[in-house]
Amino acid sequence: MAQSSSTSPAVQPSGAQLTTTRTTVEFRAALIAMAVVALIPLGVSNPYWLGVLVVSMYFAILAGSWNLLAGYTGQFSLAPATFAMIGAYTTGLLNHYFGTPPLLGIVAAIVVAGLIGLLLGRAVMRLVGPYLALTTLSFAEIMRLVTANSIDITRGDLGLSVAGLMDSRVGWYYLFLGALVLLLLMFYLLLRSKAGLFLQAIRDDEVAARRAGVNVVFWKTAAFAISAAACGFAGALYAHFAELVTPELGLIGQTGLIVSMTVIGGMGTLAGPLVAAFLVYVMSEWLRDVGGYQLVVFAALVVIFARFFREGLWGLAKAAVQRGRQA
Amino acid sequence: MTLLSVRGVSKRYGGLTAVDQVSFNVEAGELVGLIGPNGSGKTTLLNILSGLAVPDSGEILLDGAPCQGLTPERLAQRGVMRMFQLTRVFRRMNVVDNLLVAGRALGLGADEALLRADALISELRLDVIRHLDAGQLSGGQMKLLEFGVCFMVPPRIALLDEPFAAVHPTMKEIMGDFIRARHEKGQTFILVSHDMPVVVELCQRAICMNAGGVIIDAATREVLNDPRVIEAYLGGHAV
Amino acid sequence: MSGIDVDLAVNGLITGLFYALMAVGLSLIFGILRIVNFAHGEFYMVGAYAYTLIALGLGVPAWIALPLAFVTGAALGWLTERTLMRPLYAGYTSWGLMRDEYAVIVTFGLSLFLINLVDKVVGPYAFRGPALVETSRVVLGPVLISGHRLLAAGIAIAVIAITAMLIKWSFWGQQIRAVSQNRLGASLAGIDTAKASVIVFMLSGGLAAFAGALLSPVINASPDVGIFPAIKSYIIVVLGGMGSVPGAIVASLLLGVIESFGAVYLSYQYRDAFGLILLMLFLLFRPQGLFGEKGREV
Repeated sequence: MAQSSSTSPAVQPSGAQLTTTRTTVEFRAALIAMAVVALIPLGVSNPYWLGVLVVSMYFAILAGSWNLLAGYTGQFSLAPATFAMIGAYTTGLLNHYFGTPPLLGIVAAIVVAGLIGLLLGRAVMRLVGPYLALTTLSFAEIMRLVTANSIDITRGDLGLSVAGLMDSRVGWYYLFLGALVLLLLMFYLLLRSKAGLFLQAIRDDEVAARRAGVNVVFWKTAAFAISAAACGFAGALYAHFAELVTPELGLIGQTGLIVSMTVIGGMGTLAGPLVAAFLVYVMSEWLRDVGGYQLVVFAALVVIFARFFREGLWGLAKAAVQRGRQA
Repeated sequence: MTLLSVRGVSKRYGGLTAVDQVSFNVEAGELVGLIGPNGSGKTTLLNILSGLAVPDSGEILLDGAPCQGLTPERLAQRGVMRMFQLTRVFRRMNVVDNLLVAGRALGLGADEALLRADALISELRLDVIRHLDAGQLSGGQMKLLEFGVCFMVPPRIALLDEPFAAVHPTMKEIMGDFIRARHEKGQTFILVSHDMPVVVELCQRAICMNAGGVIIDAATREVLNDPRVIEAYLGGHAV
Repeated sequence: MSGIDVDLAVNGLITGLFYALMAVGLSLIFGILRIVNFAHGEFYMVGAYAYTLIALGLGVPAWIALPLAFVTGAALGWLTERTLMRPLYAGYTSWGLMRDEYAVIVTFGLSLFLINLVDKVVGPYAFRGPALVETSRVVLGPVLISGHRLLAAGIAIAVIAITAMLIKWSFWGQQIRAVSQNRLGASLAGIDTAKASVIVFMLSGGLAAFAGALLSPVINASPDVGIFPAIKSYIIVVLGGMGSVPGAIVASLLLGVIESFGAVYLSYQYRDAFGLILLMLFLLFRPQGLFGEKGREV
């Protein structure tokens, strides 16, 4: 399969699955999936199901962002839902108390979430594995507790009511889809560049990356900030969609869903978490009527995939395609 | 100007003095052997030179500029490249990508990095396995790959930590040829090795350490015949 | 020191005892496998449910249901170790160097699985287990305490003491400590490290389940009741120095007392946050905890 090109200097080594090549393949697959999603409203007009898909897109953004941080850079943060909550409350508080227009609020949410992500990322720079997970878990719980208990400001669990952006559900559908595709494109461009090489190198062996000259501090912090900003963006969008902001957005269970989607989809792949977000969320809503075992099933899938299928659904799909080619 | 100047570098770990007032210079183009029994401080010294450990005292000057205490990545940018004794490669990235990481991190453009990676893969006879992930390679192949990573951008000084340890004779030959070829073009090396024939063959000069300190710094033949060196290896204890 | 303070201190210490039951097991797991078991709280939860279901559902006396809860936890621990923990030491190529990440994901997934499974199979409603004794108030000087809690505290002390002694002096206790200090060396010395892992997981599961059982008359056992105790355990294990059993015991008592006083003198609302803040601070600035040793640089 690999052809040697050692006799003439080739600009594009043939046969090799360079990370840039792999990322492009994944990006194209993800675009196809997004195209399918774009066509759905032509056939489905039930607002409930459109709403389910909108929430799926919310999770797809979160899963994709967490994947950047954990799947590509190896930083296992348990705070993605927290940043969504931070983004939601940023725009929510601005809108509720100052009448800030939603679009401005969303921009503010991205900035605030990104900044807090930057600070947190810088703080946890030296932590690995379980230590990082525990620290971000504490951060997540503290933030949620503070948000829920600051009833004077946030109205706690009652929630903060927030202006909407539009009435049309289909309009929201395409807005979220647009946001998702935009982020997908951003991540693609980022991962295709040298950043993609550096992040994965950091994930594989931080010391070796430093030895090779990679500015590990910068890139780890950048991944944290970008991931947090994207999560904040999703949270802010959701705030104006649901027209209500509650601390439930930052529950550990939400992070559990995000982690599940990413693991099942395939950590460290562009398309996997996005597609899995839809599958997991839509299935869970669908199964909800049929007895409600969906969460048990998905949690079991996470364990099984982690144990046996590290590459997730994307890996399984890849293997199937390769087997098909050889047949 | 002296390429590398080490002055009075010391490092203690708790009650143990791992590196004790070590001083030496390395001129451009030298291939210096660094030998000594296990526990003599060679690896700690290399860690200090490559930024993985901070010396308790002393100075290190690279091209005249102080660089002790700089991070590994800053030192890499300044041209200090270090090979690890226990091979470190990016296991889930393929051979080419491994090389590209170093190339891009050290300032090469995408196309140039690919060209250089190709050339290195040829030189190191890694063509056949270029599409494999580094984690799938044999130990010797990984070592060659790490070699390549260190030379994507020719460093000011290359610190090789026992590159020939537990390596297949064929690989040894490839590595030896590589080192010799680069050396002829002016590459500066510090080579830590237990493989005396190789040290004799490649290094004009050798530094022998024992118990953290330098016991002799002279022409290789002279060093290997020195009674203190012989005693350090055969008779005395490292500490 | 006023009567209230004595009461707070005593109650804090007692709470600390229950924390210790959970934290010791987690500490042992970290010592042996260098991972944090994110499903630890669910062993506690399973213990509470097992105790209550066995006692109320099968009509078994509380005194017998208690050790049975321990057994249930130990069995779950055994199952977890055998099915999921092997890749951590059996050289698993796919996750390879990412064993930390594997452990986090797989135990996190297990936690979600157990919470949701119990939620579906048993139901999301909270219920409480039978108390060991029905005396509702015992007066010890300035301290007012329920009979069950006092008895549970006594049992907890006994169990912790026995565990500590086993770890220190029994054959397997020493094996476990050897593996904690140096896995490779221990296996070279002929110690069955796999078996040590199994024993530790069983012990950890059993102790956590036991804690859940002891506390089930007091807490309202629901499927996610284990989340906070788990977080407390993580805090303690870090405070006490990962892998140190004596450290875990001391840190448990400390945390119990801090929370007890903090809830009254600082903020009742944020009583759970004190530990979290401590955890973050320690992980950021002193990861070796109060009693651990600082790790070496490269």
